[in-house]
Amino acid sequence: MGTEGVQDLARIRKTLKELLVKDLSLEDITPEEIKDDEVLFGEGLGLDSLDAVEIVVILQRNFGLDVKDMENRKDIFYSIDSLARYVFESRKDSVSDG
Amino acid sequence: MNIISAGMVFTRGSGIGSFENALHEGWRIPGEVEYSKSNKSFAYQFDQTTIRDKAVLKKMRRADKLSKMAVAAASEALGNSGIDDIRGKNIGIITATALGAQVTTFSFLDDIIEYGESSVSPTTFSNSVHNAAASYISMVLGIRGPVMTVTRFFFSFQSALQLAQSWLNESRCEFILVGAVEQYGDVLAYIQDTKLNASPDGRILPFNLNPAYQVPGEGSVFFLVSNKDTDTALCNIEDVYLDTYEKESEKPDVNIIDTDGLLKDESVYAESLSPDIPTAAYSPVFGSMMSGSAFNCLAGALMLRNRMLYASPVQDNPHGLNIVDRTVSRDIELIRCIRYNCYENKAVICLRKKQ
Repeated sequence: MGTEGVQDLARIRKTLKELLVKDLSLEDITPEEIKDDEVLFGEGLGLDSLDAVEIVVILQRNFGLDVKDMENRKDIFYSIDSLARYVFESRKDSVSDG
Repeated sequence: MNIISAGMVFTRGSGIGSFENALHEGWRIPGEVEYSKSNKSFAYQFDQTTIRDKAVLKKMRRADKLSKMAVAAASEALGNSGIDDIRGKNIGIITATALGAQVTTFSFLDDIIEYGESSVSPTTFSNSVHNAAASYISMVLGIRGPVMTVTRFFFSFQSALQLAQSWLNESRCEFILVGAVEQYGDVLAYIQDTKLNASPDGRILPFNLNPAYQVPGEGSVFFLVSNKDTDTALCNIEDVYLDTYEKESEKPDVNIIDTDGLLKDESVYAESLSPDIPTAAYSPVFGSMMSGSAFNCLAGALMLRNRMLYASPVQDNPHGLNIVDRTVSRDIELIRCIRYNCYENKAVICLRKKQ
């Protein structure tokens, strides 16, 4: 991945953190306090299944991505890093497809 | 049934103490809200940061403002009851509202237009249903009794009180949290300003009667009611008359009228007033709300408990009514809280001093 890709990925991570705090109404935490590799569900950030559906909505609204098979794509929802990589790769695919 | 305790949130803060202070202090100019690019109006809005119980807020991060207001008021009512442990007690919840989660409902509809059906937030949808606020009260406070939301334009609170009385009488519940909640929104402001008389200076003139001026309000009041009595109970709700003829009874010490400009012409209230009975109206303290009767009912309950007659906050009196114009200590026995709807049907809540 080139410098441009690294910067793009960092931007996506930052945007995702801001969207999660705002759209999931996360209290007592700022976007900056969320670590890139922090587990989102259960022990880590403490999100639950309804938050997962909200994240799907966030991806649709803000990145135009449609996560069709949530059950088999749990890996995407592991951390901010995994979400950002999914967004980054999906964008890259759509650009190369186009 | 007795009012064991109460809780509330409104434009001047959270808690019964804030309301008592407001009744002492009188009218204050409401804030101005820009509800569209070219329109501004006065509104009595609630500041959510005044909710003191952070533990309660933590349990409802997904809730909308309507539910947060209802839970804060209900939580205070339960907290003031002196009941330390609610386990084993059969407590019901009845929430009265005229317009319910209208703000969240419009937000949900806006999202459908903007993002399409497949990209609307499930949380917004769940908050938009009418029983959401009552359900949040049940979840946050750990109450496992029956839960219901009563929606009706002008008499939702009175209907909820009647339902509460029937649940208590048939021993369905030992205690009931019964209250009202309304939320301010841009659509509501637009409709009220278009269809009714917007107050030019932010004052509701409750004794003007015609024309009547409104200023939208928001907030929540909850009462814990029971057929039991406690040392700290506020008062007794002796009767609730709704769309029926009021039983001839002894003269009340005070009439509280729910005039708040939500009828364009409120002259019908004059039929229920008598020159020898002082009349009070407190809508200028909390704003115009279709379930505002709950707020006036709380004012009445506090008057009976505190043995205090609170001055009407705005006293313009062009018809020379006998109004409560000063705050004075007074041993009050009976209060009638009167509301009319747009069909000129009357609802009356009779509050009596605790024996």
